[in-house]
Amino acid sequence: MATFKPGLVHTPVTPFKRDHGIDFDTYGKLLEFHLRHGADALALPLPQGEDLSLTDAELRTLLEFAVKQVKGRVPVLAHVNDAGTGIAVERARHAEAAGAAAIVSHPPYFWHPKANMVVEHIVQVGAATRLPFFICSPPVEDVGTPLTTEITLQVLERLDNLAGVVDASMDWVFMAEAISLARNTRAEFQLLPGTDYMVSAGVLGGAGAFSPLSGVAPKLVREVYDLCAKQQFTQARKAQEDIAALHHLVKRAGFAGLKGAMRAMGRDCGQPRPPVRALGEIEYGKLAQEIGAMDFLRAEPRGW
Amino acid sequence: MSITLKGVMQAPVTPLKADYSLDADGFAKMVDFHVRHGAPAIAWPHHKAESLNLTIAERKLGAEVAVKTVAGRVPVSIFVGTLSEEDSLDIARHARKIGADMILAISPYCRRPSQEEIFDSIVRIGTATDLPLLTYNSPWRNGEGVEFTGELTHRLIDRLPNYIGMKDASFHSEKFLEISRVALRMRPGFAIIMGVEHLLASFPLGACGSFSSSGAIAPNLCNKFYASLVANDWELARECQYKVSRLWRLFKEQYPSSLKGAMIMMGRPVGPTRSPLPTATRERIDFLRQQLEELNILQTEPHGW
Repeated sequence: MATFKPGLVHTPVTPFKRDHGIDFDTYGKLLEFHLRHGADALALPLPQGEDLSLTDAELRTLLEFAVKQVKGRVPVLAHVNDAGTGIAVERARHAEAAGAAAIVSHPPYFWHPKANMVVEHIVQVGAATRLPFFICSPPVEDVGTPLTTEITLQVLERLDNLAGVVDASMDWVFMAEAISLARNTRAEFQLLPGTDYMVSAGVLGGAGAFSPLSGVAPKLVREVYDLCAKQQFTQARKAQEDIAALHHLVKRAGFAGLKGAMRAMGRDCGQPRPPVRALGEIEYGKLAQEIGAMDFLRAEPRGW
Repeated sequence: MSITLKGVMQAPVTPLKADYSLDADGFAKMVDFHVRHGAPAIAWPHHKAESLNLTIAERKLGAEVAVKTVAGRVPVSIFVGTLSEEDSLDIARHARKIGADMILAISPYCRRPSQEEIFDSIVRIGTATDLPLLTYNSPWRNGEGVEFTGELTHRLIDRLPNYIGMKDASFHSEKFLEISRVALRMRPGFAIIMGVEHLLASFPLGACGSFSSSGAIAPNLCNKFYASLVANDWELARECQYKVSRLWRLFKEQYPSSLKGAMIMMGRPVGPTRSPLPTATRERIDFLRQQLEELNILQTEPHGW
């Protein structure tokens, strides 16, 4: 299998209407925005796309809609994730049939599974299709199941289509171990930062990136990505610090923060779906004011 | 001495005799070994030195041996972290008296301290002497550990003119950048020193060096690694980081038992490890020998003192 290298992957949010239904008109505009502003690929719906709040039918419809909208201009990676292995397997098969270019999946959550259970789940999801397969490592503070180096190496032994890890743990020990040891088995094994913190992952040997903030600051994201791709890690520090400042601001308000920041940039994607709390107008006003005070965002596109 | 902190700084283990008592002569040899092999600073007693298994009297004695042995060749940092803040204050004042160059502090462990409690504790320790102060950021998963957030770091820099740097053991992109982008803006010379050699991920973002885990085994590798970072030779730096990471995988469990076992194998008799940590078994040492040979460490690094 030729190595699939997704490059800079934008991870769109999922817009909702006031009645909490998916707003497909806005989603179409959003996908076009990402395509016009530097996405080498799209991955959806990741946690910032509120995947856990979508029904099985909605997840399938959303993917089909995105593939149709994109029309092959860039690869579309399907995030296939569920607590139940069988459900995730079926969704992976659907993603392949719908035209996804690759599958991205997390370790199963909720069950506090032991390592061998995690390996079995991931292997079954990965083996459900012949598409390139990426495992996501969740953030360290997440309630989800952590992805360890040992689990990664065991999955690698069993899955020919395992292309790499998308790392949202931001854990340097895991990243350094996973990439160096996995490449002893598979030289083309990839490490992609799953957040917008690209410098550390890049200098450790990673390539590509998943970018949650691409809907807010696509130029800044592209700047750091390009500098890392050219191995100019020291030169990327200032822009990486700007991204960190934006990340910090958005994170304070949770999922609603990302949509709030997008609204402040003129791209209103509605509020998160319950039970995720929406931003009140006072909170939004404060967030918008802080976004407005970030000088480095002046060069970023406003509106659609 | 004006203090410049950069490079792979060495944190010696604590040699013990067969009866588990402190081997002061062995410790002097250990410190001197590090200085002769390029250590740009000496820091003692970190956890690698079994700090919490040493009495306060032993810690003072070891600090005196370290300062005397180094004799001004490089800066000496004394770690003052203890279970009781009173002991930390006592060790800090002692460090000042014997001529140490700086202290490294963490608020007392095992209590899940709030950010306010950490702030108050560090201010008390940091104002107990006029020595330059480093703090030790040790966040664990799920809110355990002692975490210095960016906001807390900001407040401490604002409050303490002698606050010159941080040992960071977060090993985490987001946490590191929260500290670095605040601290380096407020105090440009602020030294962010990685807890062990996870230097590659942090150096382009402003880290100045690390306290070493593997320097007791592979000082040449440490020095080569740092030189490659300064030269922005990322390919060589990556090769060194991967090797150091493999060493860390070998040594991190029941740290520093395996490390001490490997040191003995390399002709530096540092004795057993105090309970509750186990002492490396013969089988473990044989396994380490095989691993270190495979990594080309035994063939390229110094043996003996």
